[in-house]
Amino acid sequence: MQEKVEAQNILSMNSVEVLYDNVILAIKGVSVQVPKGEMIALLGSNGAGKSTTLKAISGLLKAERGRISRGEITFQGADITEALAQKRVEMGICHVIEGRRVFEHLTPDENLTAAAPRGMSRSTLNAEKDKIYAYFPRLAERKNSQAGYLSGGEQQMLAIGRALVTQPKLLMLDEPSLGLAPFLVEEIFGILQKINKDEGLSVLLVEQNALAALEIVSQGYLIENGRVVMHGTAEALKSNSDIQEFYLGGGETDFHNVKHYSRRKRWLS
Amino acid sequence: MDWVFLSELAINGALTGLLYSLFAIGLVLIYKASSVPNLAQGGLTMVGAYVVLALARDVGLPLWLAIPLAAVVMFGLGFGIERVALRRLAGRPVVMILMLTLGLDIFLRGTTLAIWGGTSRSMELGVSYDPLFLGDIFISRIHLVGAGVALALFVAFMLFFRTRTGIKLRAIADDYMASWSVGISVERGVGLSWALASVVAVAAGVIWGEIQGVDQALSLLLLKGLTVAVLGGLDSILGAVIAGIILGVVENVGADFLDPLVGGGSRELIVAAVLILTVMIRPHGLFGRHDIERV
Repeated sequence: MQEKVEAQNILSMNSVEVLYDNVILAIKGVSVQVPKGEMIALLGSNGAGKSTTLKAISGLLKAERGRISRGEITFQGADITEALAQKRVEMGICHVIEGRRVFEHLTPDENLTAAAPRGMSRSTLNAEKDKIYAYFPRLAERKNSQAGYLSGGEQQMLAIGRALVTQPKLLMLDEPSLGLAPFLVEEIFGILQKINKDEGLSVLLVEQNALAALEIVSQGYLIENGRVVMHGTAEALKSNSDIQEFYLGGGETDFHNVKHYSRRKRWLS
Repeated sequence: MDWVFLSELAINGALTGLLYSLFAIGLVLIYKASSVPNLAQGGLTMVGAYVVLALARDVGLPLWLAIPLAAVVMFGLGFGIERVALRRLAGRPVVMILMLTLGLDIFLRGTTLAIWGGTSRSMELGVSYDPLFLGDIFISRIHLVGAGVALALFVAFMLFFRTRTGIKLRAIADDYMASWSVGISVERGVGLSWALASVVAVAAGVIWGEIQGVDQALSLLLLKGLTVAVLGGLDSILGAVIAGIILGVVENVGADFLDPLVGGGSRELIVAAVLILTVMIRPHGLFGRHDIERV
């Protein structure tokens, strides 16, 4: 039974510890599973270790002199704990890093071209681009202007589109809602949901905006101080009093209907 | 005012300037991918010239074969420099990489001195030294050839940067981290930019070697090349070409006015003034990109 569950996870991260500069322990034994074709959220406040968790999965830790000191990460059954970032992209993990980070001096069209995997034929690339422009019509309108001058929402769309060109099986997004107006967050999350549904793309979403994230994901993990302190379905998390109090902004809690969660016990999980 | 003489100064200045551009294009290629001015570009140019001579004189190949072969050798050397030296410095402060290129320049100069000695050798391209007359204006043939090479390389690189590989190089120049995140091999891209700059160094080495002889002094071209690159904007190939022409004309015409007044040596002063004023007044040069700030 246990093995069957394992096989359904596209990504499995077990008790991973990350050190920066060999001294700073950024995450302390984080375990996260992403079931194939599902959307999963990592929630938590600033500095909790969400971004580090994504970088451990994508291999971008190395660029910031971080490393995985304990634990293992498997992707589609293969151990990728030590694999190079480039190799992981080839395997199908793409990480949309925080702050959009489009190639500002390139046009949106060139941004998409830049992400084309080695050996992708021109016709496949054009088909990928057409698909991305269909998901994000705003990008199609501005595909030949300079990417640095796009609006924040358009840049986020471009960052997601650029990741899609790599033909990922697991798309990881770091704070895509950051600094965007609520209607844009809704638009982008709606498109993510559509891509997830149409193509069976698995998504791991890091968000501070728990309210928006829990609307589209099936499960969520809550990370605090480098540890997973809570894990459950989106419904369970939404109705949890702590989550409501700290992350959803709801003040009133109905203690009769919600099981109280002892915060001290979290550290044992 | 003698207009014929003035235009002769201007035209020959522009041609010399394009030869500076030929050198500066190599600097721009590396700056575009690594955001570092390559202080070893002079050394590479000198080595490029020596390798051509080694293949032509020591091995005895004809020049038309020696030059492309030297380009291949230098292409490999450029990749090798990234693999052996630069890769370890990834993620370190830019000033460390800058110091590395300075060390590389000294190393290359020392190596050529050890192998081929310090006596100047001639390139003997076979370009005639008979003057070419355009109306009443005297033009140097080798400068004309060199300017043609510079313009050809300019066009070639403008086209290259529209290809998929060229776009990836520009992406690397824009954002390392984002490039890694979509699986672009930043290491290979930086290596490629060094390899291409080393090929440009062969072209510059051959032309400049023909003009002033092949010896360690070729590496001093860096000073004028860097001035041109800075004036053009460091990351713009078009800028390198236009700035080269500007510097060449200003230097040639200006020196003709100033030399009688100060008793010679004003060329260096003009180059220094252009470099310093550019940095003070327009740090991103004529065509350099500046970081986009959206309001």
